[in-house]
Amino acid sequence: MATEAPSSLQRNQVDLMEFIDWSGVECLNQNSSHSLPNALKQGYREDEGLHLESDADEQLLIYIPFNQVVKIHSIVIIGPEEEGPKTVKLFANREHMGFSNVNDFPPSDVAVLSEDNLKGKPVILKYVKFQNVRSLTIFIEENQSGSEISKVQKIALFGSTVETTDMKGLKKIEDH
Amino acid sequence: MRNGDYSPTRFDAQKDAVSLISGAKTQANPENTVGVLTMAGKGVRVLVTPTSDLGKILACAHGMEVGGEMNLAAGIQVAQLALKHRQNKKQQQRIIVFVGSPVTYDKKVLELIGRKLKKNSVALDIVNFGEEDEEKTEKLEALLAAVNNNDSSHIVHVPPGPSALSDVLISTPIFTGDGEGASGYVAAAAGGGLGFEFGVDPNLDPELALALRVSMEEERARQEAAAKKAAEEAATGEKGEQSTSQDVTMAENVNPGTSEPEKKTHDLTDDENALLQQALAMSMDDSSSTVAVRDTDMLDASADDHDLQLALQLSVQDSQGDQSNPNDVNKIFPDQSYMSSVLAQLPGVDPNDPAIKDLLASMQNQPENKEENKEPKEKEKK
Repeated sequence: MATEAPSSLQRNQVDLMEFIDWSGVECLNQNSSHSLPNALKQGYREDEGLHLESDADEQLLIYIPFNQVVKIHSIVIIGPEEEGPKTVKLFANREHMGFSNVNDFPPSDVAVLSEDNLKGKPVILKYVKFQNVRSLTIFIEENQSGSEISKVQKIALFGSTVETTDMKGLKKIEDH
Repeated sequence: MRNGDYSPTRFDAQKDAVSLISGAKTQANPENTVGVLTMAGKGVRVLVTPTSDLGKILACAHGMEVGGEMNLAAGIQVAQLALKHRQNKKQQQRIIVFVGSPVTYDKKVLELIGRKLKKNSVALDIVNFGEEDEEKTEKLEALLAAVNNNDSSHIVHVPPGPSALSDVLISTPIFTGDGEGASGYVAAAAGGGLGFEFGVDPNLDPELALALRVSMEEERARQEAAAKKAAEEAATGEKGEQSTSQDVTMAENVNPGTSEPEKKTHDLTDDENALLQQALAMSMDDSSSTVAVRDTDMLDASADDHDLQLALQLSVQDSQGDQSNPNDVNKIFPDQSYMSSVLAQLPGVDPNDPAIKDLLASMQNQPENKEENKEPKEKEKK
């Protein structure tokens, strides 16, 4: 469990990583040798040497579906001072966005990351907008120094689940 | 486009290539979809939205006309839009461009387009044919460099010449780049066996390809042994050396089978399967006819080898003497001594050879006894 931000663990907030549906995770404009699992997956994201990098320009579009409905309370984005993300727009429940239509919808929330945030301070989101989230799209619009490439060391989401049935759990009970 | 530098005309050659590619892609994976659009004429027009129905794709080729100037940038952008609105979002996006006319756009513009494609993870294949232009080639290469991500995009330059555009394209990564079964379709389309052993694509049917390969090797080994046996009898001086080498060959063939005597029934190799079929056939039917069948197979395989023919004649004489053995085969099937009876029926193998006998002796004692019982019988018949 994350230890840098104990305040985010109030009120039963859990790391939503286990609810991510990995088969549907997508990232546009990522550098193939520095890809999204480096920033999202357990173990990889703690590794200093592995990070997510952008390719053609500094923007990144990350799509994360969940395997059940969740509420997202806060988000932690860790990155280097220079190339770490600055303006991050979050969209809840928008499937398969592209760079061309990302500015057509108003984001569910916008986060401008400060240096503290890049070190691990969580960004508290507008909780009311993230009550019923099936998928999250993270659009990294620009980075701190305006460089060609954005780098992200770690992305962590905190929140809680809505009381929906976890289909895997259902199957196990039937086995008895 | 009406030039005859590609037969029959550039336009027709292009149409051929397009239908071939569409066929290959739709066959490669049932979930693939292909769409077609034209860039010249009155403007960019999408003739077929991405579909997996090959008929529709081929039908649209009929309506195509030559005229106007090619608008490469607009063409690529419309293609990107069409891909964006595909029904199955899990599909990977790829654009294949046939560039016949000169390119009027700046290198910068093309690079920008290329980067945009890369950003949206769209791969691009460029077929450069028709007008031969230094600038054109340069621009297209720049475009490819901007799009290319991990070698997923390719460019092919097709100079005018006698060979058809489609033939040249078949061997390029545009056809085979995606791997999977695309190469299988291509092999069929080009008239079979293109680059694949035995005309069977290992991707489509790995077991069949493996079985064919194993039986080919087995056949080769058997022919080698038969040839050596024939040479041995023709030139008695070199008998010693050759018989040992022949035994080694046969021993190697036999070993894989004998190493697991207990599991014989379940672990029959292709080698033994073939032999089993022959043995069964021999025991069921009239021996002479089936033996003749087997021998003609071998004759067909190596018509030029006189030594081999001599060996075959000898083996036919041998087999005619082995009438009683098939009965034994019936009784002892599927026992370990089945192996020895099979050996007896192989042309070129003399079960009386000390090497073979030692081999069999190294198996359990029982088979050895049976073997000894059978050998005297054979000696009598001969």
